[in-house]
Amino acid sequence: MPVTIPLASLILPGLGQLLSGRRARGLSILGLTLTLLGLIWWSLTPQDLSPETRPIPLKGDPANLYWLVVPVLIWAWNVWDAARPNVAPGWIPALLSTTMFFVIGWQVAEINPPVLASNIDRVMLIVRPMLRPDFIQPRAEEREGWVEIIVPCPTEAPAAADSSTGEITLTVDATCGAVGETLTVAAAGLTPDVPVELVWQSPIGDFFVLREADDPTRFRSEQPDAQGGLTTALVIPNAIPPGVDPTMPQEQRLYLRQSRPLGGWELSTNGGFILQGIYETIALALMATTLGTLGAFPFSFLAARNLMGGNAFTLVVYVVVRTILNIVRSIESLIIAIVFVVIIGLGPFAGMMAVTVHTIAALGKLFSEVIEGIDPGPIEAIRATGANWLQIVRYGVLPQVVPAFTAFTIYRWEINVRASTIIGVVGGGGIGFFLIQWINLSDYRAVSAAFLAILVVVQIMDFVSARLRERLA
Amino acid sequence: MLEVQHLHKVYPNGTRALTDVSFQVEDGEFLVVIGLSGSGKSTLLRCINRLIEPTQGKILWDGTDVTAASGAELRGIRRQIGMIFQQFNLVKRSSVLTNVLAGRLGYVGTAGSLAGVWSSADRASAVRALERVGLAEKAQSRADALSGGQQQRVAIARALMQNPKLILADEPVASLDPVLSHSILQYLEQLNREEKITVICSLHFLDLVHRYATRVIALKDGEVVFTGLPQEIDKARFKEIYGEDAIEVKAGLSA
Amino acid sequence: MTPEKPNRWRALRTTLTAVVVLVAYILAYRGSFVASDTPIDLRRLFSVELWSKGGPLLRDFLTPDLVDREIQPVTLQLPVPVPCGSAENGVPATTGPRLVPSVPCAAPRDKFRVEGFELQPDTELQLRWRLPSGQYFPGPFITTDADGHFSAEFEARPIVATKDGVPGQIEVELQVEVGAVKLSRAFFDVLDGVIVTIFMALIATAAAVVVAAPLSFLAAQNVTRRGRVGTAVYYLVRTVFNILRSFEAIVIATLFAFWVDFGPFAGVLALTVVTIASLGKLFSEAVEGIDPGPVEALTATGANRLQVVWFAIVPQIVPNFVSFIIYHWDINVRISTIIGYVGGGGIGYYLAQMINTGQDNKAGTAIWAIVLVVWAMDFISAEVRKRYT
Ligand SMILES: Nc1ncnc2c1ncn2[C@@H]1O[C@H](COP(=O)(O)OP(=O)(O)O)[C@@H](O)[C@H]1O
Ligand SMILES: [Mg+2]
Repeated sequence: MPVTIPLASLILPGLGQLLSGRRARGLSILGLTLTLLGLIWWSLTPQDLSPETRPIPLKGDPANLYWLVVPVLIWAWNVWDAARPNVAPGWIPALLSTTMFFVIGWQVAEINPPVLASNIDRVMLIVRPMLRPDFIQPRAEEREGWVEIIVPCPTEAPAAADSSTGEITLTVDATCGAVGETLTVAAAGLTPDVPVELVWQSPIGDFFVLREADDPTRFRSEQPDAQGGLTTALVIPNAIPPGVDPTMPQEQRLYLRQSRPLGGWELSTNGGFILQGIYETIALALMATTLGTLGAFPFSFLAARNLMGGNAFTLVVYVVVRTILNIVRSIESLIIAIVFVVIIGLGPFAGMMAVTVHTIAALGKLFSEVIEGIDPGPIEAIRATGANWLQIVRYGVLPQVVPAFTAFTIYRWEINVRASTIIGVVGGGGIGFFLIQWINLSDYRAVSAAFLAILVVVQIMDFVSARLRERLA
Repeated sequence: MLEVQHLHKVYPNGTRALTDVSFQVEDGEFLVVIGLSGSGKSTLLRCINRLIEPTQGKILWDGTDVTAASGAELRGIRRQIGMIFQQFNLVKRSSVLTNVLAGRLGYVGTAGSLAGVWSSADRASAVRALERVGLAEKAQSRADALSGGQQQRVAIARALMQNPKLILADEPVASLDPVLSHSILQYLEQLNREEKITVICSLHFLDLVHRYATRVIALKDGEVVFTGLPQEIDKARFKEIYGEDAIEVKAGLSA
Repeated sequence: MTPEKPNRWRALRTTLTAVVVLVAYILAYRGSFVASDTPIDLRRLFSVELWSKGGPLLRDFLTPDLVDREIQPVTLQLPVPVPCGSAENGVPATTGPRLVPSVPCAAPRDKFRVEGFELQPDTELQLRWRLPSGQYFPGPFITTDADGHFSAEFEARPIVATKDGVPGQIEVELQVEVGAVKLSRAFFDVLDGVIVTIFMALIATAAAVVVAAPLSFLAAQNVTRRGRVGTAVYYLVRTVFNILRSFEAIVIATLFAFWVDFGPFAGVLALTVVTIASLGKLFSEAVEGIDPGPVEALTATGANRLQVVWFAIVPQIVPNFVSFIIYHWDINVRISTIIGYVGGGGIGYYLAQMINTGQDNKAGTAIWAIVLVVWAMDFISAEVRKRYT
């Protein structure tokens, strides 16, 4: 063993191994050392924070310098390995670098398992409503009446507040008041014996159900008398949105709501949205799969080496098409959707275009691989008859590829249904669009119903497509 | 001594693989089970160490009821019974030594064995077992780097590690060339003669049966149709067991 | 039975299938048509209106913001008293970058023209009032022509009136590029995002492997489906895997974001959950695909269930497992690029920020980085898997 080999590895990690013909090992060592050094450099440079970036915990901490020990040890190991091939155990660098990756990764990804336990109360907040999915509701007659109240009082007192919407009439002893003041409201025309809910509407239109003063976990519920009248006192809640000047008088409203059970069940409002979202999702997936397959078809022939390798021009087309397919394929359809939403606007059209584009790229690649794997015999035979390129494709290639194409298309349909359930998260339509809004509104009963709907749809589609593929195989 | 009493096996799909099979095996015998493929030989052998649950009947091994045993007791019985398979059943990606050591699993603790810790005595006896089948120098090779005959010898070494009193061999040579068949069976014969290990072996070729068996039982459609000495199997018996159209073939190279 | 009958049957069935498919398409088309403000309308893709708006956006996305130069803001100002006579009129310069109003002073609500000379050519600037209080009042955006000249109408709002003898001033801020070309801020932000994303995928994959590997044995027929308890466990684990696999990571991330707050941790948890389900299924299929011979052989030696799993099954599945793990790390990098979009953290978070604030160049930088990383991961994972198996 010439001394130059370990020397080379001392100068540049992996060089000795490269020189002695162990190419893969040499490149791995070099790559690993450079990666580790790069990572240390990255962890040492402080982060230039802006309002749009998140602080990364370990960035810029000088203590990260200690990690240098890892590349240094690996460097030493690499010299040993160069000097005595197949003696130095490979687990040493593997263990060292893995440890470093995971410890750094742990900090960078802000892994913090104790939070799971300490925030368990939040889970309870979600779980309870999720056990009661909001899809159907008992049929009921909804009635409401409201009155306007100015908060706080303007300089000139507003006219007497007496509001009647339909049959329910509300009278308040003051037409305006400050947050925390007590009002007395008298109502007439309510349905007797049906409890009344008090709801406050903020100046920007949000509703707050008023709660019991002594037990804030319970909603307030009042019982009207036998004539449908009710008189009760309430404290003006603080419904002024953040960022709004609290001294500016604003119109707010007090609603009295009644819901009289009629027996039986009906689709709830959110249930209707879920049906619409699922409908959109399936429609979107169907359209995208169809258009995507049609689009992938021509590309796949252009991206097949055995068809395009003929001359320099077609070869260039092959390389270009293939590269584009590969790039587009590697972008998640959600990210493509983000771009389409910006260009086309919110809605299923943008989502469908995104899924279509991704489908074209993914199927184009799969199809082209099918084409590359076909038996060249028939093609040769048809070429020998003097057929042109299109004729060769029609009679020599198509019959061989159609079954595999069909199988891939069905498989893609499955993927597209899944993708369409979430494309709405970025504004691309379908159930995801509703889902993300309910999550933002913390309406976990609706969220849970949407989850169930997605589960059912995906399972059914999986089953159907598995059956179809079985049939074809 | 092994006693099989009125053994029945019906598979869940309704196939009657064994019907009222009874026989005895004295210590030191080399019992060969013959029969057409599908006649129930594998089922019978696997019932003996309960790799397959018998439907009915009793198996007594040195007086203990194998069919009633379960859990640790069953494993205790199994470790006294080595088994050799047609497809060798080695763990192909593990080393030969690990495969042989696996024969000790019934004797060692779970934690130690899972951690790969083996006593030096076990290691030494593994090397001895390998020497015995002439494969000591292959200890560190991967099992799938060995030829078929070598793999079957590793399987024998694995069975030896159990210090078995009985070896079950289910068509141990059916996947091997005739020459190798004899070498494998000679190892079994040697163990049978020198260590007094009882052997129950299913075989296909009649010349091998004549050469190695001390006693033969024949199965047909799950029933015992013949028990006796190998010499007693003449042309007529042969046709009876294997059917009218059967022609006797030799494994070749009869020793 | 006559031979025509099944034929007629088949014809009927084909027709029915065709009708069903056709109806599905019509419903699909109509469904997306009726349901929203932007229905599926492929003709729109070719409309001038869409591309006059979308074209520049697309161009922004495709041109990443990688390098820039140090920028120094220079402010050009000129006092324009409102109303006239409330302070001394400003005198415009005669050479160099300068602002020239059409009137030296103005009454409130007067409109006048402002011209700029010898500014940077072809750049967008904002004309504004600097109030006596020091705050500014924004005016119109203007674009200079090739000679660095502009002319724009400007209004003297009451708010710009002279206060305590200090007049309001018209001003523009010029961004003067000084110093050498350097990597842009977006470049470093994106690099940070990419590294966080890769680590998120790494940790999630590792955590998922730790959970999925043992669970996969419970979901494998040949290991678990024995006896009543075994069968129950088998179906239970399988069902859980199947249910979890129905949800995309991004949806689960929103729930975790509520639990542990926004940040990479929420994303990692969501990724872990879906990876457990997906790897669990792949793993259990690998376990089901093993050669049962060694299992039988080791059972026959008297080994217990754990020992059989460890000595007969594990060695057979390690290569498959490794290849699935690497493959999934690759997938997870891809998923975590978007998971940040809702869960916060990584490149997805940055992308969301840039999209929401309309900084399409920077969003483009992030998208290009995602393409690069995913591509590199794809390549590395394919190479490693090829080498290992
Ligand atoms: N797991 C099983 N399930 C159902 N039937 C089986 C099973 N294993 C074997 N059999 C049937 O049992 C009979 C005996 O099989 P086997 O014991 O393998 O015979 P041999 O080993 O003599 O070829 C055959 O008819 C076979 O088809
Ligand atoms: Mg058999």
